[in-house]
Amino acid sequence: MAKNAKQRTDIQIAICGSAGDGTIAAGDILKQAMAKAGYNVIAFDVYPPEIRGFGKCIARARITSEQVYSLKSESDCLVSLDDSHAIPHVPEVCKYGTVIYEDTPMSEMAEGTHISSHLASAQLPYGVAFREISERVTSSARSRNIVAVGYLAGLYDMPAEIFHQVIGRKFSGKPKELTDSVLSAFDAGFQTGAETFRLHFDRIGASRSKSKQSDLVMMSGNAATVRGCLDAGIDTFFGYPITPATTIMEMLAREMPKRGARLLQTEDEISAIAATLGAGYAGARAATATSGPGLALMSEMMGLGAMAELPAVAFVSQRGGPSTGMPTKTEQSDLNLAVFGVAGDGQRIILAPTNVEGCYKCAGKAFEMAEKYQTPVIVLLDLYLSNRYEAVELPVENPFSENCSKPVKKKPGKTKYSRFKLTSDGISPRAIPGDEDCMHTVTGLEHNEQGRPNDQPEIHQIMSAKRHEKLLTAVKHPGITISKRFGDKGKVDVGILGWGSTFGEILEAMIEARKEGIRCSAMKVVMLSPLPLGPIHAFMDDCGEVLVPELNYEAQFAALVTGATGRPVHRLNRVTGTPMRVREILAEIRRLAGQTEMIAAE
Amino acid sequence: MMNIHQPVYLEDKLEEVESSGKLAYRSQTLPTWCPGCGYFSIVEGVSKAMTDLGLNQKDTVCVSGIGCASRFPFFMNTFGFHSLHGRALPVATGIKVANDDLTVIVVGGDGDAFAIGGAHIPHAARRNIDITYILFDNGVYGLTKGQTSPTSIVGFKTTTTPYLNVDQPLNPLMMLLSYGASWVAQAYAGEPHHLTEMIEAAVAHRGFSYLHVLSPCVTFDKTSMTYKNLGMTVRPLPGDHDTSDFAAAMAAAQNTDLPQLGVYFAKERPTLADGLNEIAARAEATV
Ligand SMILES: Cc1ncc(C[n+]2csc(CCOP(=O)(O)OP(=O)(O)O)c2C)c(N)n1
Ligand code: SF4
Repeated sequence: MAKNAKQRTDIQIAICGSAGDGTIAAGDILKQAMAKAGYNVIAFDVYPPEIRGFGKCIARARITSEQVYSLKSESDCLVSLDDSHAIPHVPEVCKYGTVIYEDTPMSEMAEGTHISSHLASAQLPYGVAFREISERVTSSARSRNIVAVGYLAGLYDMPAEIFHQVIGRKFSGKPKELTDSVLSAFDAGFQTGAETFRLHFDRIGASRSKSKQSDLVMMSGNAATVRGCLDAGIDTFFGYPITPATTIMEMLAREMPKRGARLLQTEDEISAIAATLGAGYAGARAATATSGPGLALMSEMMGLGAMAELPAVAFVSQRGGPSTGMPTKTEQSDLNLAVFGVAGDGQRIILAPTNVEGCYKCAGKAFEMAEKYQTPVIVLLDLYLSNRYEAVELPVENPFSENCSKPVKKKPGKTKYSRFKLTSDGISPRAIPGDEDCMHTVTGLEHNEQGRPNDQPEIHQIMSAKRHEKLLTAVKHPGITISKRFGDKGKVDVGILGWGSTFGEILEAMIEARKEGIRCSAMKVVMLSPLPLGPIHAFMDDCGEVLVPELNYEAQFAALVTGATGRPVHRLNRVTGTPMRVREILAEIRRLAGQTEMIAAE
Repeated sequence: MMNIHQPVYLEDKLEEVESSGKLAYRSQTLPTWCPGCGYFSIVEGVSKAMTDLGLNQKDTVCVSGIGCASRFPFFMNTFGFHSLHGRALPVATGIKVANDDLTVIVVGGDGDAFAIGGAHIPHAARRNIDITYILFDNGVYGLTKGQTSPTSIVGFKTTTTPYLNVDQPLNPLMMLLSYGASWVAQAYAGEPHHLTEMIEAAVAHRGFSYLHVLSPCVTFDKTSMTYKNLGMTVRPLPGDHDTSDFAAAMAAAQNTDLPQLGVYFAKERPTLADGLNEIAARAEATV
């Protein structure tokens, strides 16, 4: 590695196979090892909804020395563990990129079924006898995937020692013979790779600069969410399994009881959110996690939370919809449901992190906000964010505040406690069961300051205003980025407004466009309700054209922003179940930049 | 025991009520039920039970769904959670998981429980959450003005079954027994003293206690579960009924023509909180 220490690293590797080939496991070893070796890694796996069968799995990892924000549209290397699945991905390999495939001789093969016949002339073929090597050193073909990882590591001059450590940890607790056999498969692959003649090759370059190496951990968006919950002191969690949110509950189920916190798998999502509200009412930091179909079931309860002014946190990881849709494919199409899905005027706070570190921040801050503003808070994730891995730096000091609830100031001899007292900021002092002299009943019926049912016209008007106005201060909540602008300052030709996981691709496209000399900047909006209208207006004022790329068909965020600001935006929508391509966004930026120029020339 | 041949003087009665301490559990809000509705006995029964058990208002939460019966928390001077139609049990579950020291009393109607909320009952029962569920069965939807309910009898005419209700009614007692409820009993709103006794025993039981209360809706049911009909048919469970005998409880619960009042089944077993504590102990041991 020393010989090209100055060379920056930016390679993306895709491993493709069918379920059962160990594709995801191979990708996992690769990304863990490279993160451990000090590289920035962004990784995202795509897998089929069926547990068994022969569905397609792809593990992609982008390994870099610099800060990057998303996967690239093109991979530098494709490893095929199953040609029928990998062939459609050959065009994804860049010019002079490599395609590594199984080359163990087969008895018979129909024409066109071998991947080698699909390569473009500028793609470099590396046929390796994975199966044969695996059988030779482990007397079974099952370690093909490990041989492939070893080959990759050898070919790219990656540090074998670190792979050994990662494999050792992954197989800790398993019989020693198994670990040894896996390690020997890796070594055999590594040796083959290292000895391969390389005509033109990007060996792996430098890792990230030393100063930035401390305290970086590889984690998925869901794992970061879990860390945020734990650091914020989550007391109770109630959930019902659903992809891609399940792993949040699974990780919490392991961690929460160790801290004396309580987790319960409920009978459905309605009970999950009902119990979350019940626990919040009783003073706990309570959360649930689900996906779009679960959020649909929760909407009546979300309205109760808004009306009864109760804290609750719901993590909602979106997947392809509507209905059961595409459970293992990503999409950003539950925005409308999150923002508007409620009977009546039931506004609540919606946060949408844009990267793995943001998941941590939003998760913890959601508990603060739920308590402070006495409302349900939805944290909108999506499959691409939940499952993607990034190397993140978590703060050394716990950044989350403990109890943020407005306390009841005891004034002995004074009038009875009013749970829904009208105050200047709309937030009423909140008592919980067990508090002396503060008995009250909360209800989903419209009520007066004491909480008694009341449907007088002036009461509904005043209380509706109270419930909405108290949320307005949330856009200034301390310690969290509500919105942020990147790129060129001042007037720009094209501004890109984004939310959620797609913002990584937006940033990459914006950076590319600036390199091409287009004046542009990008703004991420993390709080989707209430919207930070001040910064959005200011941004739009600066932009000749505004582009909103998002992974849904109905342009939900574009419509939300247009509705709130009264200004038109350009929409860019894809529902392919995959992250948006940087080059598609870039093409749109170029088009819009050209358009402005033309108008200017006229 | 009051002698019915003796005259009852209002002053004496007032003094008795005031000195009983029950009123401390009542809120300033007067019940909004129709005069004669069986539900008045809930407020009376729960206040009396709380007085006798010496419960503290600040440590008690009354939870309900939506319906006439579910208005109950507003009439109590305790903490209260008037939730959504059918969702009282999961809300109560959350409260209890968050703070096991609270006494949680859940009240609801038959539609709230067995129609829209039917999915929650088995789980509250099997988990043995330490709450009391007082179910007021009037065989009709009261709050929405008289539609058929899952406990309406076949042939019952309502606004949504103007010719005839053809759906077989559920048997709540058998359901709750088979769901694993650790305490199951039946009472009748027309026998308020027995009802109060049952409420007290239900609250005292450690675990999920289910009290089924037959309660006439005087406004929307003139033919079926009326005071007259129920008064003629209800009777106490036989004196030798063994509350630890599950089969005997199931057999007694089958007799819906002549509903029997009393404790059908009672069994001590670990509560949800016990289970969660054990999970925590095991998890902590791994750290
Ligand atoms: C989701 C929802 N669906 C329907 C209703 C309307 N609703 C209110 S109470 C009720 C039924 C009441 O009957 P029951 O639960 O037996 O209670 P009762 O009024 O007889 O005490 C219905 C259908 C509602 N509030 N919410
Ligand atoms: S409608 Fe029926 S159940 Fe409702 S309060 Fe009146 S009598 Fe009672």
